[in-house]
Amino acid sequence: MKGSVAVVGGGIAGIQASLDLADSGYKTYLIESKPSIGGVMSQLDKTFPTNDCAMCILSPKLVETGRHPNIELLGYSDVKSITGKAGDFKVKLIKKARYVDETKCTGCGTCTEKCPSKVPDEYNAEMSKRKSIYIPFAQAIPRVATIDAAHCLYLTKGKCGVCKKVCGPKAVDYEQKDKEIELNVGSVVLAIGFKPFDPSILKNYRFDHPDVITSLQFERLLSASGPTQGHVTKQSDGKVPKNIAFIQCIGSRNPRINRKHCSSVCCMYATKESIIAKEHDQELDITIFHIDIRAYGKNFEEFYSRAQKEYGIKYVNSRPPEVVVNPDNTLSLQYEDFTTGDLITMNYDMVVLSIGLDPADSARALAESSGILLDDFGNIATSIENPVETSVPGIYICGVAQGPKDIPDTVAQASAAASKAAALLCGERGTLIRERKFPDEKKLSPEPRIGVFVCHCGINIGSVVNVPDVVEYAKTLPGVTHAREMLYACSSDSQSTIKDAIARNDLNRVVVASCTPRTHEPLFQNTCREAGLNPYLFELANIREHCSWVHMKEKERATEKAKAIVQMAVAKSALFQPLYKQKVPLINRAIVLGAGVAGMTAAIDIANNGYHVTLIEKEKEPGGMLRDMTELYDGKKPADVLRDLIRKVSENRNIKFLNEAKLIKVEGYLGNFKGIVNNRGKEISVDFGVAVIATGARNLEPSGLFNYGKDPRIITQAQLEKMLGTGVSANTITMIQCVGARNKEREYCGRICCVDAVKNAIRMKKANISTNVYVLYRDMRTYGVTENLYEKARDLGVLFIRYDEERPPKVQGGSVVVHDIMLNEDIEIASDLVVLSTPLVAGENEEINQLFKIPLDKNKFFLEAHPKLRPVDFATDGVFLCGSAQAPKLIDEAISQASAAASRACTILSREFIETEGAISIVNEARCIGCGTCVAVCPYNAPSLYDVTVKVEEVTYSTKKSKINPAGCKGCGSCAAACPAGAITAQHFSSKEIGEAIDAFDKGVRSISIEKQIVEVMV
Amino acid sequence: MSNVQSCYQCGKCTSICPMRRVSKTSPRSSIYNSNVYGLETNGIWTCLTCGLCPMECPQQVDFLTFVREERQGKRPLEVAHLGVFTEFAELSSKLDGARHQKSDSEYGYFPGCVDQFGLFLHDVKTNFGEITTSSMKLLDKIGIKPQIMDMKCCGHDVLWQGKKDVFDRLKKYNIDHIKESGIETLITGCAECYRTFSKDYGLGIKVVHISELLDKLGLKINADVTYHDPCRLGRHMGMYDAPRKALTANGVTVKEMEHSKENALCCGVSSFMNCNEQTKALRIARMNEAEATGAKTLITTCSKCLAHFNCLKTEKDAVKKYDIDVVDLSVFLARQLEAGK
Repeated sequence: MKGSVAVVGGGIAGIQASLDLADSGYKTYLIESKPSIGGVMSQLDKTFPTNDCAMCILSPKLVETGRHPNIELLGYSDVKSITGKAGDFKVKLIKKARYVDETKCTGCGTCTEKCPSKVPDEYNAEMSKRKSIYIPFAQAIPRVATIDAAHCLYLTKGKCGVCKKVCGPKAVDYEQKDKEIELNVGSVVLAIGFKPFDPSILKNYRFDHPDVITSLQFERLLSASGPTQGHVTKQSDGKVPKNIAFIQCIGSRNPRINRKHCSSVCCMYATKESIIAKEHDQELDITIFHIDIRAYGKNFEEFYSRAQKEYGIKYVNSRPPEVVVNPDNTLSLQYEDFTTGDLITMNYDMVVLSIGLDPADSARALAESSGILLDDFGNIATSIENPVETSVPGIYICGVAQGPKDIPDTVAQASAAASKAAALLCGERGTLIRERKFPDEKKLSPEPRIGVFVCHCGINIGSVVNVPDVVEYAKTLPGVTHAREMLYACSSDSQSTIKDAIARNDLNRVVVASCTPRTHEPLFQNTCREAGLNPYLFELANIREHCSWVHMKEKERATEKAKAIVQMAVAKSALFQPLYKQKVPLINRAIVLGAGVAGMTAAIDIANNGYHVTLIEKEKEPGGMLRDMTELYDGKKPADVLRDLIRKVSENRNIKFLNEAKLIKVEGYLGNFKGIVNNRGKEISVDFGVAVIATGARNLEPSGLFNYGKDPRIITQAQLEKMLGTGVSANTITMIQCVGARNKEREYCGRICCVDAVKNAIRMKKANISTNVYVLYRDMRTYGVTENLYEKARDLGVLFIRYDEERPPKVQGGSVVVHDIMLNEDIEIASDLVVLSTPLVAGENEEINQLFKIPLDKNKFFLEAHPKLRPVDFATDGVFLCGSAQAPKLIDEAISQASAAASRACTILSREFIETEGAISIVNEARCIGCGTCVAVCPYNAPSLYDVTVKVEEVTYSTKKSKINPAGCKGCGSCAAACPAGAITAQHFSSKEIGEAIDAFDKGVRSISIEKQIVEVMV
Repeated sequence: MSNVQSCYQCGKCTSICPMRRVSKTSPRSSIYNSNVYGLETNGIWTCLTCGLCPMECPQQVDFLTFVREERQGKRPLEVAHLGVFTEFAELSSKLDGARHQKSDSEYGYFPGCVDQFGLFLHDVKTNFGEITTSSMKLLDKIGIKPQIMDMKCCGHDVLWQGKKDVFDRLKKYNIDHIKESGIETLITGCAECYRTFSKDYGLGIKVVHISELLDKLGLKINADVTYHDPCRLGRHMGMYDAPRKALTANGVTVKEMEHSKENALCCGVSSFMNCNEQTKALRIARMNEAEATGAKTLITTCSKCLAHFNCLKTEKDAVKKYDIDVVDLSVFLARQLEAGK
């Protein structure tokens, strides 16, 4: 057994898997074939459904991966073969010659600037040119130049050699050769991603025309770092388009070209891209041509609905068969309007092809050398109950390589794969890693010497705020000894620049004026620490979210505001004092709430990683919703899956299972929770370091809808599922989708109801082919590889009728009247059974959210820390989430999430101690009056009161004083604000520091002498 | 069996349907009505069975099989030329036919019904019989001396008109005739015969369209032509290159129309059905495309296409005067062969 793991593929999946493994104590090799990690996510402008800037949330992960002491990054390397067995694999790879010495290159970019050879830029989807020696994008990790050997003039013709001449550190090496490396690792995680579909094979869509572009190209057009700096323009003439058409399912849902799958993400990215384009240009007219809109994920339906109602984006349910290039080179589409039956021809300035996700080219080659199997779609084969395990033990899989999926599902699977690899190698944990070493902190000189670094953020800030002006202004501020601008302050070369500036100018405070501390503060704090500065001597001035993004149209005023924000940060930072984190011991045990399939999986995974778990279930029997299911969508019997899980739980000595039990009280904090469990009336205390919430959801009982409850022939899909266990006989069965979902009262999509309905429709048909099965639907949302179920149902003769939200079917006894929108007629279906497909709704989550102070979303499901990159974390440390408690999901997705939650939990359980926050609140006991206000207001249970005896000269009395547990305190400052005696100080945010900042803003505004009315606008 | 149940109603078929350009027909709707409600629509009769929509259908719905199955046993909306060719086929299917006989050659050549066209289609001013004589000359030139197959109609039209019983009788006779003859290769100059023998007969011997044999004639023809892909040879059988090669290998320059090969437009009439105002519009569209190439000759490999284009040209009150000859491939090459002698 080796305590190391090779992660193949450096997209977001590989990055997350690597970080989890490295944080859990395993040496991790991250192998990426491109020059930089980041994958396709690095090319995205924003992410749905929150429209977060993709690079902004990804970049801190890139940096963290690049600097993690346990991760060895093997960029620009192709895996040739994987051989061996679990615990002992040999991974052969070719480290391709960059012709640049990675150890010498600083990523300064001089070579790129001087290189005379231009080639199409892959990062911008070939819509712009890059140089033959290049760094793929500003935030690239590792930030080193790479020579494109196929185009370099020196390497192809022996001429030029300019890059070598201009390279300061002498990093260019034309003699470099490809190098074969063999790694010996305990496990392999495949995260090889996908290949965007090439639409040129569908000749009718005229991808040869410059104004017909792919969705990925459109994404680049929207991006500030793209070929047009975020201005959507036509490739043909550079003009702004007035109307744009998106055509969905290009390279998806198309068995004719051997793409049977739904790509899962295109409906939502087209919606996102349309919204962003509309935000750029409100006059723009956008139409999305589709078959079904598959808005199945958390908050997707809401996003889709906003796109229509708030942004006026048109969705047309029809598929144009071709893009027509007119004689004047303009574009038009012809499509059938299903409601009127008319054939409509429309001209469009631009056509965006929503391309699907193809399996990566490397999948087949890797499969051959390692012996892993592929599925019918060319993805790496897995099973429902083991969604991240390949057919070769010890090789795990995550992300789109397993099947099309969006970023949060990818991230969850990445953590899940990490959990499996970690469990396999758990005996070797910590054997091959090294501690992160920092230089000693330097002595703080009494006078503040502040360095200010102002970021352009590409054009995010620089195109609005006059950055050089802000720099010049910063130089005039008291205490500032150094100020400079940076293109991307978060890039790795900028970190060297900052460290260098700290050393050269003997800086003792650092201010970076860029974006939000939420994502970027840890990065810069770490940079300061590496330069020997206490991390709490750093301050971020947010001139992007707070300034350039909200004042895009007022450039001069924005610049003045940026100056004021910088001035505030400078004034505040001058008062900063070093703060230190404390090391607190932790309890290396976990609890898991809920023993459904998610909870049991999480418990097994944590236990297999070597930690003790208490699994708490309120019912007598474990199994949750799976107990009521009679068949999985791949035909397996849930009882078999359940039996296997229960056996694993009961055989594992690390798991203690408490049934008929309920957690009733929790106190403590990350690493040190104390809980009370009511177990059949008996109270048991359970101490634990982390908790996993896996409490599931329940099926909606559709009382009052479609006459449910008034006739025994009207049942729910969940009831049918149960009945199918023993067989159902009916001549005609009619299913109605979206009952109690996708409406005003309950906006979300139930995600799994279409898959369930189709699955049960197939079962009915298989039992008796002559049964008439009707499915009345609004959009069929059999996403990803479940599209094959939809195909199968149709093949078996299940009949699908689309209805409109405005005219829902009417059910009277066994009669269903549906307005068929294809026929535009009311149709009556005499049915023996009417099946209502209802969504999952949140269970009794309110109790748990109070216990742990973890948030719920508006549908009362638990709210994860971040919808994209932290899908199984809570904002509260030490508490994790999985399964349908987060939102409805399929069983394999719940299992992936459960393993992911286990992995995240293990990154904590594997630690020897917990490091507290440094910027915490402290109590001045002399002033504390023991009123207990702080105890009441703290969201983290950090303060508590204790009895003291006070002796004042001759008088002695007893009173209470507050004490803040440093391990519980998050430094939020609620107590400091609420304390009536002014006894509590929120360090780093003290009244004095905040007061100075406010005063500085006031001064700043006066000293820059701008008009009074402008001040009013900005304040 | 057709697989219309796979259709998920995306509407690509309707939007690309040539008939839809000139009528209200909707293949999508025909499929839906039939599959979900078992309803019959006029769409199954207006369809020209040109085969364009299955080329585009992402679900690979076999619309041609669907239409053919739906039509069986039902009465067509309309049959051109008073249904005389259908009557002829029906009658012939019930008559004895020529005696089966052993062939001297390993090759058989079946002229199809072109020789009967002249009897009814005088107004088209086309010598359909020349297709047969031309074919003989060309085959002779390349050293093939086939047995002329004295068979009944291949049954193509009746099959597509919903008369499978008639087709089956014709087929049975023809199969026996071919078997008795002992030929190893059946050559035909007709796109419809070629499709029918290849796909609907199951003969077990080689079926060849004459255009596959004509690239070795060694002619040096200096001419620009354009080529119309008949649906039966093109989309039904996937034969796009052979007729072009037969032209280019003999020195001819082929100027492609805007829609060609897989995307070729239909001549407008199918199986002697659907000759009406709408389909005439399609013929005009196709002839306009041919004219736009600048070529003076339009070549085709289907006697029906030939008839329909020439009919448009020679109408009494012609819509337009087309300065373009419409000629069968074999006829075109044979005339050049003669001229070169």
